[in-house]
Amino acid sequence: MSVEKLAYLPGCPSEATALEQHMSTEAVFEKLGVELVELEEWNCCGAAEAEDQNLVYALNARNLAIAEKDNLDIMTPCSICYYNLARTNNALKANEELRAEIKGIDPSLEYNGTITPKHVIDVLVNDIGLEEIKSKLVKKVELKVAPYYGCYLGRPPETAFDDPDDPVLMDQLIELIGGENVPFSAMKTKCCGGPLMMTRGDLAFEMARKILETAKNAGADCIALACPLCGMMLDAKQPDVEKALNVKFEMPIVYITQLLGLALGIDSSKLGLQKNVVDTKKILGKVV
Amino acid sequence: MIKTWELDPNFKNEILNELGGENLTACYQCSTCTLGCPITELVPSYNPRKIIQMSLLGMRTEVLSNPDLWICAICQTCTARCPQNVVVGDVLAVIRLLAEKAEEAGEIKIESPRPLFETAFLHTVEKYGRLYDIGLAMEYYPKREGSFIKGQKAMMDDYMAFGMRMFFKGKMGPLGGHGLLKGVLPSKIKQRDVMKKIFKWVEEKEKER
Ligand code: SF4
Ligand code: SF4
Repeated sequence: MSVEKLAYLPGCPSEATALEQHMSTEAVFEKLGVELVELEEWNCCGAAEAEDQNLVYALNARNLAIAEKDNLDIMTPCSICYYNLARTNNALKANEELRAEIKGIDPSLEYNGTITPKHVIDVLVNDIGLEEIKSKLVKKVELKVAPYYGCYLGRPPETAFDDPDDPVLMDQLIELIGGENVPFSAMKTKCCGGPLMMTRGDLAFEMARKILETAKNAGADCIALACPLCGMMLDAKQPDVEKALNVKFEMPIVYITQLLGLALGIDSSKLGLQKNVVDTKKILGKVV
Repeated sequence: MIKTWELDPNFKNEILNELGGENLTACYQCSTCTLGCPITELVPSYNPRKIIQMSLLGMRTEVLSNPDLWICAICQTCTARCPQNVVVGDVLAVIRLLAEKAEEAGEIKIESPRPLFETAFLHTVEKYGRLYDIGLAMEYYPKREGSFIKGQKAMMDDYMAFGMRMFFKGKMGPLGGHGLLKGVLPSKIKQRDVMKKIFKWVEEKEKER
């Protein structure tokens, strides 16, 4: 195994709405023997709301600089944090002038481009590796899973680490732990609507509905995902989507780290499975 | 109808000069961006190709006051598929920034509440270094509704049930056992002065536009 220690950026939702993603990420990496050093004093990446690229670069330069001081690659479980870190890293690496300008804002923003930002899924599959993970599995997660990737893992091309139209890394993890991937290609990378939730809830709900409905029709026991905003939209808001559109899904939504954690034999409460909004008890019965 | 005397041939340069707008002129109008767009799927009149075409033609006011700018989900599907490497998603973000600027200058009126939402979001980041959901909502809803009372009501309609869910799941508030008022009070970083400096720098850069 090539990776022993990583800087860890949990991201803003980790403190509230996506607490279970944070808990399961920490638990899984502990089990896998990879030390996570939570970035001291990390700041918000600007999410999708920072539309000015200068703002994105400055906010993310600070987080990158903190990790660089420890000479550690930086990992995040949040797809948007990943996208913002990765595009900032690219821009600053390529542009010395921009680096100097950003450092001029405050010395703590001095970033020299010597580390690499990574998403949790990338680290699990490509750095730690399926073989290594396999050697530590103690349980089978015999679930039918709809693997939902959302945006920013396979696009835009500049920062992607999986296929834009038919990503596979999460599928591989699900198969590895004994799960079955239901046919879900049409929805895998469709946007969940999250960025429109507060301004065009009607569109956002419709987008979420399509994903939930497709998973349900495909016979999935749950949807696995990797982004806290997708989690908010599909899990935390699922009862609202059901109410607004007069439908019933009761579709459990779990972070991929929660599923992997179950296969690694980690206690479900340590993985935060009691914190998902749609009840996850019925899927726990299929962990053997 | 295109009124040629109202065209602004410099408009495309405004976009080209911004980070993300660089490849605009490479667009050859193939529509690939629009065919894959999840918003076009729901709102058939939504057409990023057309927004780009109108920008290239210099239809500045029409583009900047187009309400469709504000329903883009920033999913970057268009960007991933464009055969000409136009960073379509970023081009739209640049146009939104120019629209906000045009509104400030009194040239257009933006009907969408999205700029208010984004500003409220970023205010919490500027103030605390991290997103503070409740602070965001407390600024956004009253501004969107035009009064404090109406804002409170709209917020309750949207978030009362959601808030209770978060509370009972121990994700916000005292039931979490991970800090008594986590999520209820803002999570603050110590170096908040750096956040202030970052936002000030961005503001200065904006003025250069
Ligand atoms: S896909 Fe690219 S080239 Fe084709 S219309 Fe859209 S922006 Fe233009
Ligand atoms: S980024 Fe916007 S325009 Fe592009 S595909 Fe997504 S929603 Fe459509």
